[in-house]
Amino acid sequence: MNYIVTILTLAIASSVSLLLASLGEMINQRSGVFNLGCEGIMAVGAFLGMLVPYLVGKGGPTSGVYNLIGLLLATGIGALLGLFFAIFVVTFRAPQGIAGIGLEMFGLGVAGTLFRHFIGGTQSVPGITTPPIPLLSKIPVIGPILFSQNILVYVAYLCVPLSWYLLFKTPWGLKVRACGTTPRAADSIGINVNHVRYQALAVGGAMAGLAGAYLSLCQAKMFSDSLISGRGFIAVALVYFGHWKPVKIMWGALLFSLAQTFQNVIQSLGINFPYEFAVMLPYVLVILVLAFDRESQRLGPTALGAPFNREIRT
Amino acid sequence: MKKLISLALSLSLATALFAGGASEAPAKTETTSQSSGPKAYKVALIIENTIDDKGWCQAMHDGILEAQKELPGRIEYSYSEKMAPVDAGSVARQYAAQGYDLIICHGAQYKNLVMEMADEYPNISFAFGTSAEIGPKNVFTYMPQSEETGYLSGIIAGLTTKTGTIGIVGPVDGGDAARYNRGVVLGVKAVNPKAKILVAHTGSFSDFVKAGDLAKVQMQQGADILTGSSQQAIGALRAVAEEKDKDIYWVAQDGALLTIPEGYKVIATSSYNYGAVMAGLVGKLDAGIKGGECIPMNFNNNGFFWAWNDNLKKAEVAAKVDEAMAKFKAKPDTLDWASVDYSKL
Repeated sequence: MNYIVTILTLAIASSVSLLLASLGEMINQRSGVFNLGCEGIMAVGAFLGMLVPYLVGKGGPTSGVYNLIGLLLATGIGALLGLFFAIFVVTFRAPQGIAGIGLEMFGLGVAGTLFRHFIGGTQSVPGITTPPIPLLSKIPVIGPILFSQNILVYVAYLCVPLSWYLLFKTPWGLKVRACGTTPRAADSIGINVNHVRYQALAVGGAMAGLAGAYLSLCQAKMFSDSLISGRGFIAVALVYFGHWKPVKIMWGALLFSLAQTFQNVIQSLGINFPYEFAVMLPYVLVILVLAFDRESQRLGPTALGAPFNREIRT
Repeated sequence: MKKLISLALSLSLATALFAGGASEAPAKTETTSQSSGPKAYKVALIIENTIDDKGWCQAMHDGILEAQKELPGRIEYSYSEKMAPVDAGSVARQYAAQGYDLIICHGAQYKNLVMEMADEYPNISFAFGTSAEIGPKNVFTYMPQSEETGYLSGIIAGLTTKTGTIGIVGPVDGGDAARYNRGVVLGVKAVNPKAKILVAHTGSFSDFVKAGDLAKVQMQQGADILTGSSQQAIGALRAVAEEKDKDIYWVAQDGALLTIPEGYKVIATSSYNYGAVMAGLVGKLDAGIKGGECIPMNFNNNGFFWAWNDNLKKAEVAAKVDEAMAKFKAKPDTLDWASVDYSKL
């Protein structure tokens, strides 16, 4: 039972960065734009998230206000990078894949350069530590799994119903979905497709920035150039995995993190299983699901990846 | 409109390249020393991470700086960071064109590049490691025999553990990391044969988050002494340091970890003395030897440093460590690290 509690507790904590980033990416893609630069935005968010607490505390304890400033800074810069990306892919209609890879490299480069300038080398911060919820955390099994997590874990999981509500129950969500599915029809009824895509990319970028800050402030509590380690790309894959739906994406993020944590435990248990295969397990799982999931081809926003040009009949 | 798209694409690519270039720091010359005495060798270092990664790359960088101090005026030093093997070729060729005498590509991943360039530039010396291979006449290899440092870490872990469970957070099961981890197993078994040893690998040298997660899993499984190598170790140490009120500690394989805020959880640390390797390489270049040798690093040839955290040092443990270290200093290659089979732990 201990192993199960360990696996589930760590899996929920590990899923947060993926969940936040993939919910943001879902909003991007619902508007018709895929952002492969998610990794780069996460890197900048991770760096800026820990910068203020580090500069103020120099590695020592800091007030929670500075952590909050870090989170806000990361979210804000994420939104700005989303808008920056929109200039290329929405206004100039650059191919989204290439521009996304450009943004990924840009983000990693900027984060690395600023990191060297302001901090110098790998440094840690006390980060955000949340005490377990009184009483509830004492409940056997589910207490440690559900009620001893970092506060951002709850925020991230709250984003699941929020993003569902935003997309499916608000006029703005309807506009976003219309722009991602039938932008010409949306345009014909007076929706400014480009404006909506700008807004969606800003929201998606903000969530990617927050996801990065979670890694540097809550999970690793440090920053290094390689902190993100491909999580941004996994987040993009999880959107396909989850059929562009918040709840399914949440299950995808959990499943991936569960596989990740499970392989950690398998290795530590000394089970005679090559670690190389164990390390591959979560990634193989995602590839297999995507390969066999025919629905993901059918359910995606039909205008995904296509720049909108009202002058051209399609 | 096509012109606009082209412009946007060009801009995005230019931006990306600029940003990518910013992370791949250009060559930097640390110091330039000239003297009228013996020849000053131009030495270049190519690394995949950064000079301040508190791990593998920093150890080599610090070693070269140490050798510069030890041999004033003998070494002109430049370095290039964040060089993936595919990018390192052009940088190495630039160094070759600028007349560098010794180009060190710090990592076994550069082996193919070094072999190719050694053939192309027979008058330049190259070095890469870790590798126990004997290379061509102008290629040095170096191999830290880190089973020795691992053994000492294992003695500490075996004698200090209260739960009887020890965790090893490994990067990949290869090179000096494989030697270190197996050395730990041998050390633990020598002093505490009943101890349970948990071994796991992240599959990466630099994934701090995964290393931290592995450490958390091992602590949940009862490990109270943990160890591990490579630059990702700081992630695992961070996870250990989170357990402020628990008697859970880390045995490090890099001196830099003792000096950071999390260092209060580090009982002791070993580190590679690349300064000695570098000084040895200068001596060989002086003697006209350009390569064709593998330089082992062990306690016998001062290839390792050792340091304690005085707050956590226990006399009886230190005595055992000193005893084993004295044996290593007297005679290298005494540990059969390759015989350790994790599946039988």
